[in-house]
Amino acid sequence: MLKLTFVETKLLARDPGAVFSLLIPLFILVVFGSSIEPGDRVLLPMALAIAVGLVGLYMVPTTLATYRERGILRRMSATPVRPGRLLVVQLLLQLVLAVTACGLLLAVAGTVLGAHLPDQALSVVLTFLLGTASMFAVGLLIAALAPNGRAANGIGVLLYFPMAYLAGLMQPADQMPDMVALVGEYTPMGAFGQCLRDVWAGGAPDPLLLAVMAAYALVVSAVAARFFRWE
Amino acid sequence: MAVIEVTDLRKSYAGLKVLDGVSFSVEEGEIFGVLGPNGAGKTTAVECVEGLRRPDSGTVRVLGLDPVRDARRMREQIGVQLQQTQLPENLKVWEALDLYASFYADPRDWRALLEEWGLAEKRNARFGKLSGGQKQRLFIALALVGKPRVAFLDELTTGLDPQARRATWELIKQVRASGVTVVLVSHFMDEVEELCDRVAVLDRGRIVALDTPSGLLEGEHRMRFTLKAGEAPDLTGLPGVTGVSRTGERVVVTGHGDFATAVTAHLARHQVLVSDLRIDKRTLDDAFAALTGRPFDDN
Repeated sequence: MLKLTFVETKLLARDPGAVFSLLIPLFILVVFGSSIEPGDRVLLPMALAIAVGLVGLYMVPTTLATYRERGILRRMSATPVRPGRLLVVQLLLQLVLAVTACGLLLAVAGTVLGAHLPDQALSVVLTFLLGTASMFAVGLLIAALAPNGRAANGIGVLLYFPMAYLAGLMQPADQMPDMVALVGEYTPMGAFGQCLRDVWAGGAPDPLLLAVMAAYALVVSAVAARFFRWE
Repeated sequence: MAVIEVTDLRKSYAGLKVLDGVSFSVEEGEIFGVLGPNGAGKTTAVECVEGLRRPDSGTVRVLGLDPVRDARRMREQIGVQLQQTQLPENLKVWEALDLYASFYADPRDWRALLEEWGLAEKRNARFGKLSGGQKQRLFIALALVGKPRVAFLDELTTGLDPQARRATWELIKQVRASGVTVVLVSHFMDEVEELCDRVAVLDRGRIVALDTPSGLLEGEHRMRFTLKAGEAPDLTGLPGVTGVSRTGERVVVTGHGDFATAVTAHLARHQVLVSDLRIDKRTLDDAFAALTGRPFDDN
């Protein structure tokens, strides 16, 4: 298990996609960050949602569907070690990737850009964990349904833009039609983004939205598990 | 001692019988071939033995173990090379062997395997950069890294050039010489003839023959020639001859054993000159056609 984790970590470090999902949100942060006021409370939560979304919707499904497509899971089931271990290791590593991406954003925004950093650590961690879980669940569902790695990649990217739009990451929610903004708040990324904004505004995340994210995480990953094929 | 015993294996997909009562056993130390055209059920049969698929009915024992119930214990003792599997593009050769070695309780030293399979120079190469032959050697090395007692190799020379195929065959003989029982799935007649001690010929989910390659090749051979000078004598009574047919000056004689010597001696005695003399040995293709009534490639 240790060796598997070690090898998978090396593979992740060699994957240009991983570098991409670290750098894109950072790039957005730095480009828009040059024009923010000190103590800004909007840009950083947006960048965090983008980062977690990229890992959940792009990295998770592409990696897992590619492993299945290449028969790597199947080859492993012919050894004494169950291929489920590989999935567990991958999900943990993707979680580490998401944490790293967010850590990088917090560090740069907090120091160089002087953006606001919230002080309620518990709310931040809770929001991050539930948001990541719901986004990973969507990624797992894509991996379960996509016929191959390229399709998973395509579906992930296609899904990313409408989800980011509904979450108010491309246009502020108050400029969107009311109906769209309301629906958007209950999408996985929308609930995540709204909770982050609440925390950054100095309040507590809406328990209803936290529950919405938890529900997505449970229901969507259960559906993904139901449809997942090992080959 | 039989290391694999398969009894009355049946499996259907969507009403289509892929395996229709397959039984065979594999003895310790032999190279056992599973031969048949594409879609004959070879891979399904072997994957039921490996525990990757569950048969609808029938029993499988590998080293006395049930591939489903005793899966873990069985997998410790078998090595598998699957058709159409890949590794991650960026995984290096040594990392793959090191990783797979870690899956087994008592693995072989993978560095020795690197040397044996001619991969030492490529130890730091990424999987995606390997040639077809190198990938294939790596897959075989991965199948052997757990010190298996039985190795399953599925279509191992598909996509290789003739030289690489020959080289792979030599390596498989070495595997057997080291005491590993080998189950070889193939749709190449020449490969099976060259390597296998015994062959199960599969067609449409059934075993139509189970014999040594030479046993399968026993039977009629054919001799053909063109008459040049002299009148053709009667050949039908000669020892071993089973049939004579003549079209113009072309003569075809079929027979068993050493009938060709008898025929040529008889022609010489009657001072008959012939040209274009050819003797066609029976091939496994002929054997397959005789067993199924269809040519091997006719799918």
